[in-house]
Amino acid sequence: MNFPRRLFLRRGAIAMAAMGTLGTCPDFLYRAALAADERSGGARPKTLVCVFQRGAADGLSMVVPYGDPLYYRHRSELAIARPARSGGNAETALDLDGYFGLHPAMSALLPLYKRGTLAAIHACGSPNPSRSHFDMQDYMESAAPGNKSIQSGWLNRLLMNCPEDRTTLRATNGHPSPFRAISMTPTVPRMLQGEADALAIRDLATFGMHGGNANGAAAGATSGFEGMYDGAVGDVLRGTGRESFDAMSMLKNADPAKYRPVATADYPADSFGRALTQVAQLIKADVGLRVACVEVEGWDTHVNQGGASGQLAGRLHDFARGLAAFCTDLGDRLADVLLLTMSEFGRAARQNGNRGTDHGHGTCFLALGGPVRGGRVLGDWPTLAPEKLFEERDLAVTTDFRDVFGEACFRHFGAGDDALAKIFPGYRVDAARFRGICGA
Amino acid sequence: MRITFAQLASKIAVIVAVACAIPSYAVAESPAPLSERQRVLHVLNRLGFGPRQGDVERVEAMGIERYVQQQLHPEQIDDTACEKSLSHFDTLQMTSGHLLGKFYTDIKGYFQMQMASGNAQEVKLRTGLDLKASAPAAKQPYAAPASPDLEKLSHADAIRCVGELQQAKLIRAALSERQLQEVLVDFWSNHFNVDVKKAPVHALKVADDRYAIRPHVLGRFRDLLGASAHSPAMLAYLDNKENSVPRERSKFEKGAIEFVVGGALGMSARGMVPDREGPNENYGREILELHTLGVDGGYTQKDVQEVARCFTGWTYSPFTGNFDYQANRHDQGEKTLLGHVIRAGGGARDGELVLDLLAAHPSTAKFIGRKLCQRFVSDDPPAELVSRVSKVFLNTDGDLRQVVLAIVTSPEFFSTQTYRTKIKSPFEFAVSAVRATGATFDEPRIPIFARLHAVQEGAGTMGYGADGLSGQRRQSLNWHVYTMGEPLFAHTSPTGYPEDSSKWVSPGALIDRLNFAMALANHQLTDVSLEPSTLTGGIDADQPRALFDRMADSLLHGALGAASRKTLERSALAPSGESRTVDVPQLTALILGSPEFQRR
Repeated sequence: MNFPRRLFLRRGAIAMAAMGTLGTCPDFLYRAALAADERSGGARPKTLVCVFQRGAADGLSMVVPYGDPLYYRHRSELAIARPARSGGNAETALDLDGYFGLHPAMSALLPLYKRGTLAAIHACGSPNPSRSHFDMQDYMESAAPGNKSIQSGWLNRLLMNCPEDRTTLRATNGHPSPFRAISMTPTVPRMLQGEADALAIRDLATFGMHGGNANGAAAGATSGFEGMYDGAVGDVLRGTGRESFDAMSMLKNADPAKYRPVATADYPADSFGRALTQVAQLIKADVGLRVACVEVEGWDTHVNQGGASGQLAGRLHDFARGLAAFCTDLGDRLADVLLLTMSEFGRAARQNGNRGTDHGHGTCFLALGGPVRGGRVLGDWPTLAPEKLFEERDLAVTTDFRDVFGEACFRHFGAGDDALAKIFPGYRVDAARFRGICGA
Repeated sequence: MRITFAQLASKIAVIVAVACAIPSYAVAESPAPLSERQRVLHVLNRLGFGPRQGDVERVEAMGIERYVQQQLHPEQIDDTACEKSLSHFDTLQMTSGHLLGKFYTDIKGYFQMQMASGNAQEVKLRTGLDLKASAPAAKQPYAAPASPDLEKLSHADAIRCVGELQQAKLIRAALSERQLQEVLVDFWSNHFNVDVKKAPVHALKVADDRYAIRPHVLGRFRDLLGASAHSPAMLAYLDNKENSVPRERSKFEKGAIEFVVGGALGMSARGMVPDREGPNENYGREILELHTLGVDGGYTQKDVQEVARCFTGWTYSPFTGNFDYQANRHDQGEKTLLGHVIRAGGGARDGELVLDLLAAHPSTAKFIGRKLCQRFVSDDPPAELVSRVSKVFLNTDGDLRQVVLAIVTSPEFFSTQTYRTKIKSPFEFAVSAVRATGATFDEPRIPIFARLHAVQEGAGTMGYGADGLSGQRRQSLNWHVYTMGEPLFAHTSPTGYPEDSSKWVSPGALIDRLNFAMALANHQLTDVSLEPSTLTGGIDADQPRALFDRMADSLLHGALGAASRKTLERSALAPSGESRTVDVPQLTALILGSPEFQRR
């Protein structure tokens, strides 16, 4: 189905290479088509950004259940104090709804919550009882807990089964953009693996061929590589090459780097901040981005987790600052963007012997963006009463993560029942269980 | 040297043989067996990091069987040349205690720098340490942490050892005659993954590599497992050093720890030491899931907790950096693990019993057997092979030499379905390119710059200044491996990098591989040089056809597919009328970046 475009791209690239101006032609067309579409006032494509907190983030510290007295008993040395009467300070939770409060290090997100752009889904997670990082990340990314035979990731199945926005397709001559699905990681993560094309780009700023003894040499080598990978018929590496070269030539023209972050967007100077900056650039550059994956590590806080300050507070501070900057940066483009944060499981309700927390069960997801009906902490709170804890030790799960993903697919991407059945094999996504993350 | 007609003819014969050996879609039933030369290539690609110039002929002459036997006994292989190239890495020789001391110096310097930069609030947020008393007030809340001054850090030995260990790993993989040993060190170091980003693992990994991993890769699994369990790097990485029976600390104990920690940090540590400590199940879980039984190996959450109890008190001394069992922190109660009762009062023996039990468990035999088959045979190894290998593991009491021997002499190993089916990891790709091209590691001319360079790369790997390194025009071999997605000794989660090589196939990521191929071929690495005549064999650039054949053969040994050949010929052999010389670096880069060279 994508053959004609690819043939065109390939021929274009080789022809252009011969003239020393590699790969300008097809992208020029993309851009022209996109620009034409913008002028005609067509609706912009919707984008879903998934932020995976790898390592099991402590939901009980992100969104603090200060109204649950057992929280303070379980977490005697780690608990965040109840919100101060006279406004917030750096030591106490920032009140959200009279029961839950935001971690003080996440204060950057408070204005978004108040504005209705941020919602939290608490006691969310997987029905699978495993506490293995590896298995639970795998299950969350395949969206098929307990089923190891599902090879593809849920985001890839979303792309395979979801009708493309007419806008996107029109803009790219009926063919998906090479930037339709991207992960800001060294390799494509499990959630994005599968039949639909997806790209892994560690850093947009350095993506592209460099080196060689002269510019001409780099271009010549590029067309050589391109030819070889195109010719690798029946080889898994073939697709790898094709998608890489398509993306490279498109990127050259779209030049997302010219979309500098707005001055008020205060991204942290770490890889998470950089990844979000670049996702925002791709959105602003109109390259047809539908799904983006970002990862953020450092949540496995077994020792000295800290409370209002300390190890976890530092992570949460950068995390919140990055998310807030992303929203600021996108400005009115945020209207078409839904960002979900997720983690494979939460941490044990009780602190361990080392002022840390061991692997748990339920955690807290966040939803951010224009379509979010925010300003609310969603989900049923199971409480931290001993008899309510999962296996007598962890926050129970009252929202299956597939209902959160399912709602995103349904409300944000318009996935119907058939599509949902394919995206979530073995699970019936029921709108009645949706938590109301997005506006209906 | 020119290629004679006879040589060309033999080459064509090989190409034909290769073409015939590719399993056709229609008749996959009984593919032709591998030719002798393919078997040699296969052994060099799987038991090592690919052939150097002349290796194929050398192994052909001595015979595969003898080569494999030799590789299984690395202690009998002379390796002085490789060892000599490592002699200037002085951190490799430092003891854990020495390195820990260096780490304390580093961290003290870091905090002093943060205080001087007015980042007290930042430090408080991230570490919980209150530096305010001694620091000027921060102008801005949460100012970015000051980046380390690399000049001052040229003596930061704890950070430097990360860069040096990475370089040493690359040099050994590329130059060592003990290829199988280096493959196995890579495998087991990844199996018992620790992450240098978590201090002080960066300093302790040096000792882990030298004492825990290297001596045991062809020994008994029980010894390897035990060495890892006692390794300070592992005790720090998976938090077992914190694992204790629930207990109160005495005033005296607190005071003593505060004195030591305060001395190390260069500030008062009062109030930093908790009154109580207790169990930590991080190591207990991962030793079951990742080191021995496997996630489906049949254990429960209760087993995790019981293993954790057995390992309470296992730690290392903050002074000597050596393993230390602290009896007062050990849980002396009775434990039950996988149905076995471990009697009360066992002390340090509890942990040893756990290791005995796990090393001899059938689930471990299966898990380890399958993982080794994935490394050596295929991403999804045949169940029958795994079962045979697991039996060898059980019957030989986990003799890893016997296990590896069973794998690499199996019919599955030498089958056409296995041949060239593994995609190289970035590390394998980079090292195999260095070996194939005969590239050499530059001897550092000015030691201080070499040290600074290693500090820079160590710090970059740990997350400081990585962008700066990636943005530079030229990078080291190590940094290219980092960029291609496999920062050495720095996989964050304890799973390590995947043995399923299909996980390395990622659109987008390929570009980084091609950039490495270009950089290596065009002399753009900071620490590796390439001598073109190694590849051209003295054939002049004005003999395009002969030169092309010579280079394709010396780098790919007959594996070049028809499609790639066509593209390469078009690119290298300019149409008549134009200049007829071959751009050797360009052709080298194209061959190294070809789909064929990504496979082993």
